Parts: sequence; C-alpha cells; structure tokens
Amino acid sequence: MKRHNSIESVAISAYAAASDCGLGTAALLQALQHNKSALAPLILFELPFSTYVGEIKVPLPKIDPALELYQSRNARVALAALNVVEDGVRAAVESAKLRYGKERIGVVIGTSTSGLYETESAYAVLLEQHKMPDDFHFITRHAYQATPRFLQLELGLNGPCYAISTACSSSAKALATGQRLIASGVCDAVLVGGADTLCRLTLRGFKSLELISEQRCQPMDKDRAGINIGEAAGLLLLEKNTEQTKSCPQLLSVGESSDAHHMSTPHPAGLGAALAMTNALKLAGLEASSIDYLNLHATATKINDHIESLAAYRVLGDQVPCSGTKGITGHTLGAAGAIETIIALLAIKHQFLPGTAGLRHTEDNCQCHVLKQPLLHQSLSTAMSNSFGFGGNNASVIVSAP
Amino acid sequence: MNKPIYIKGSAICCPNPSILDDYALQGMDVDKTLIPATLRRRTSLTTRIAITAADGACRQAQMDVKTLPSVFASLGGEIQVTDALCRLLPKDELLSPTQFHNSVHNTTAGYWGILQQCQAAVTAIAAVDDTFAMGLLEAWTQLQLNATNVLLVCYDEEWPPYLAPPIGQIAFASAFVLSTEKSDSLASISMPETENLAADYHKQWPELVNSAPAAASIPLLAAISQSKGKVRVPLNTKGAIWFTYCETP
Repeated sequence: MKRHNSIESVAISAYAAASDCGLGTAALLQALQHNKSALAPLILFELPFSTYVGEIKVPLPKIDPALELYQSRNARVALAALNVVEDGVRAAVESAKLRYGKERIGVVIGTSTSGLYETESAYAVLLEQHKMPDDFHFITRHAYQATPRFLQLELGLNGPCYAISTACSSSAKALATGQRLIASGVCDAVLVGGADTLCRLTLRGFKSLELISEQRCQPMDKDRAGINIGEAAGLLLLEKNTEQTKSCPQLLSVGESSDAHHMSTPHPAGLGAALAMTNALKLAGLEASSIDYLNLHATATKINDHIESLAAYRVLGDQVPCSGTKGITGHTLGAAGAIETIIALLAIKHQFLPGTAGLRHTEDNCQCHVLKQPLLHQSLSTAMSNSFGFGGNNASVIVSAP
Repeated sequence: MNKPIYIKGSAICCPNPSILDDYALQGMDVDKTLIPATLRRRTSLTTRIAITAADGACRQAQMDVKTLPSVFASLGGEIQVTDALCRLLPKDELLSPTQFHNSVHNTTAGYWGILQQCQAAVTAIAAVDDTFAMGLLEAWTQLQLNATNVLLVCYDEEWPPYLAPPIGQIAFASAFVLSTEKSDSLASISMPETENLAADYHKQWPELVNSAPAAASIPLLAAISQSKGKVRVPLNTKGAIWFTYCETP
C-alpha cells in the first residue's frame, strides 16, 4: 500500500539498551519473551519509604580519564549501552563517520535527571560545609546537555548536539528531533535516545504526588497502585536512507501534542494522548489498521492508564494488541521513549508481542486489547510506542520493519 | 532546497534592562497579569520572564497562539525550584508535589500550553553554550518540514551562586515568532550553520553571555531592530561559532 507520508522515514541502523534486565538488547529481549520482571527493592541509596525499582545492578563501565569532568551515573549508563558490542551502536557510528564525516552526525539525547544523582550528594556537602565539593561540576555533570555532550566527545562527533528534556516524553521527542535533523538535510545521521538514572529527587517527588507503588507495579491492572521508577539508557543511530540501509528498520514518524490541561494530570478525556497518536499516523501516512502493536506508556498509576486506554481505543480501536512493559523495566522516565521504541523494534525483529508483566485483571470497562502474556510466533511489521510526560507533553513513535 | 524563514515578531523580558543599553535594545518588565493568580503563585521567575517574552513576540506577530508549535530553550530551566528541592533531600523532609512537577525542564513550556490552550507540539531543549543556537536550529528544522510558524523562547533566570559561577547572574528571556510566510515579517534568516571563523559582535557581549547564557540571542535581536540589511549574526560565544545570516527589508 502506498503511504502518503508527510515526513521522510529514516533508517535505524543500530540500537542498544542498558536496563535493569542487564546490558544489551539480548537481556531485555529475554525478559520480554519470558515476561520476567526485573523490578526489585532499591539498593543504590536509602529512602524513607519502601518501593520496587528497575535498578541496573551489573557494573557500569568507567568514563575515559580524559572525559573525567563528565563522570556521572547517567553518563555511565549511556556508555554501558554504547559499549554493548552485540548491539553495535558504536560500530555503526564509526561506519557512519567514514561515510558522512563527523560534522554530519548529530547527538540528541532525552533526559530528565541528567547527573542529578551526583548533584544530590553534592548538596549534602553544601548543607554541611556551606560550599560545593571540589568535584562538583554543574555544567558537565548536572546540566541536561552533559550526557549528549559526553557521547559526542566519546565518539568524536562534531554535528549539532543537544538535550531534550520534556520529562517522561524526553527521549521520544529526541527521536522526533533526530528525524527532522535528517529530513531537513542538516544531518546525515543522528545518535538519538535517552538516559536517566535512579535518584532521590524523582523517587521522593513521585512519592509526594502519591504515585509510587510499594509493591511491583501492575500496569493496566484494575488494582494497580502506582509506579516503580527505573533507570536505563536506550540509544538508536538514525541515518538517511541509502543503498546501505536497505535492511534497516525504519522510524516512520513521531506524533507530538500538548494536553494544555494540567502540569501533572492528563486531560480527562485523553485528548492530548489521542492527538499525539493521530499526528503520528498522519505524518507516517498510515491508517490505524496498519498498527500491528502498541507499546503503551502505562505507568501503572490509576489515572494515567485509564486515560491512555480511552485515547488508544478512540484512535486504534479494540483490535490492536497492546501492552505495557514497565512491569519489567520500571518507568525509566526520560529514557522510557527510547527503551520502549527499542522494545517495539525487538517485537518486530523477533516477531513476538510483549506481554504486560504484573497485569492480572484489566478494568471491566477497558476496551483495549491488552496482552497479559507475551505471544511468540506472531506476524507484525509496524508498531507504535506512546510516551506522555509532565506538562502534558505527549509523543507517539511509529517504527516499521525494513 | 531550503525554504526561506522569516521572523515575524521578537521580544525581550529582562528585569535588569540597563544591560541592554549597549545594544540599543528595549526589554519588557515581567508582566504578572499574563498568568492568572491561581497559577502565578506556583510559577518561578524563569517561567514568568519566558512567558512575558513569548507573549510579546506573539502579539507583535499577531499570531494565533492556539495552534503555534513552540521550542523552549534554556540552559538551567527551573534551576531555583530544583535547588530548593535538592536542599530538602538530605533532611528527609517531605517534598511539595507542586514544586516537584514544577522542577522539570518543560515547566515553562507546560504552563505556556495551559495558558494559551495550545495543543500543538512543544519541546524543551538545553545545550549549554549552544542553547540559543540549537533552539534556533530546532525551530528551523520544524519549519523546513511541517510547521508554518514556530515560537522560539530562550531564557535563563538568576542561579544560586555556588552552581556554575559566573553563569546565572542576570535573568534574561527573549522570544521569536518564526515563519515560512513572508508577509509582515521583520527579517529573514538563513539556516544556522557552524564555522570556525571569528564573528563580528559587540565586545561586551561574550562577557554578558557568561553571566546570562540566554543573552546569546542579543546579536540577532539587534540585527532585527537596527535594520542593517544582510548581516552575519553569531548565535554563541564559545567553541565553533554558530551563525545565521539575518536580512532586514
């Protein structure tokens, strides 16, 4: 079927993930295909309440001493994804550098925490000693651009470099920006994605909003009791389509919208969420019936999951299989859009539909086709992934098979 | 082939207007009335200066704000709110839920959408020294593809002095309405590009940007207001210099 798209698709020549499931997409794939939650009680730091988190427990790689100023957990989680040899993002960037030149390759990374984990420790010193510790470097560790700038220096790239920070939609928006930088001819390739780490501020902040679950989260379940926060990095190399990228999956579009309703509560009828999905379909030139799988934002809060199901039903109807995967990874905030786009790409590559870990019974009035268990040996070629953030900031990503 | 991009409105909000004297530019004071009282007590200075500048640029451009996509570019964003929360963390005190959701980088973008009832795409970016340059590039790429008009707002407030001195000594916000349509435009700009060339600018400007990162937009604002024909305008002060050619009628 001929698509009447209004933005050129771009190739996804490599992608990598670091998550609570382990380093690499293979570990994530295995958890998805077995619907095995990696959520566990927090050990990285102490909290005044109990909850489950998606914590990366394997050792993280060290930052090159020449880039010591950029040393942060956030940069190390991003480096962990970059260094997964089997996922091949670093090799794909090196290949792109040879073909396009380092000036033609951008870096756009979504993050909501950046190096906040280190900043929090620095503030403990500030409050005691009335000065920041000597190793506090706001610009290279805490500022939002610290992680994209670190990746740019680590990879020797020299194109446009910036951070997108729109809370939980950050890295889905980074995909949108990467596609535009290529489609408008500014770049030939863009390393996009997201990285966020566990830190006290986000955990205690979500707790103050009464959105944290004490138990393993249950996305889309009628008894869901809130979020488990996770940490992760997802990196994708986007490239313009050439002979070389014929066998690569495609980023077709990213639909964006605003709720224009409230800073932390979604529009009650899900108008913003529905508009993001509709815009994504429109940009890609697709009918709703072309979507074979929807990865829901599904944070497992009472309000968000209900409203997303209303919006998804309105746009996609009751036939499209959908699932929420935050019962496996936790809600990785600024990295969620990248991680869940990668989950959609894994579903297409390995022809399976992920389940919803933690889901036992959907609400009686839920009209969406929500999968509890993963279904293997399926046939799918096009998938959508939703990300919605504070400020009513919405993005829906559509990817497809080569 | 790139579409030509036009500037239809621009505005500055700067609580310390004397810094503009060197550049023959005029700024606005914060307009508190733009934000209803129920929301106003929740918003920071950074949000107020950004919204004042955004409103000024949209009024000059006579733009339908309800459908206008926007790009909010800021190095530190809600740094004062984040600072206040970080100070509470070591004490095990309860955080304020409002302060928490107001600490995200897209807080100003979110309030702008709520105030204007605008459901169009809004993004919030940060790029340290290149924040204004990348904001303009982001707006430029949107206009090359599907947008007809885009609002760009670049802003930073005063920062706690221990974070990254001398950055954050002066609050500054500016806004531009960019368009693919030429009618009633103030100027046109070329694609933002980078070059390792010395740029021509007022000798005080780099020092000002050191303490007010959002003031990187001043040469473009000056080029528009002084109508000097076609000029090469720097968009940052450090590293490879990003620039655009700005042409006034």
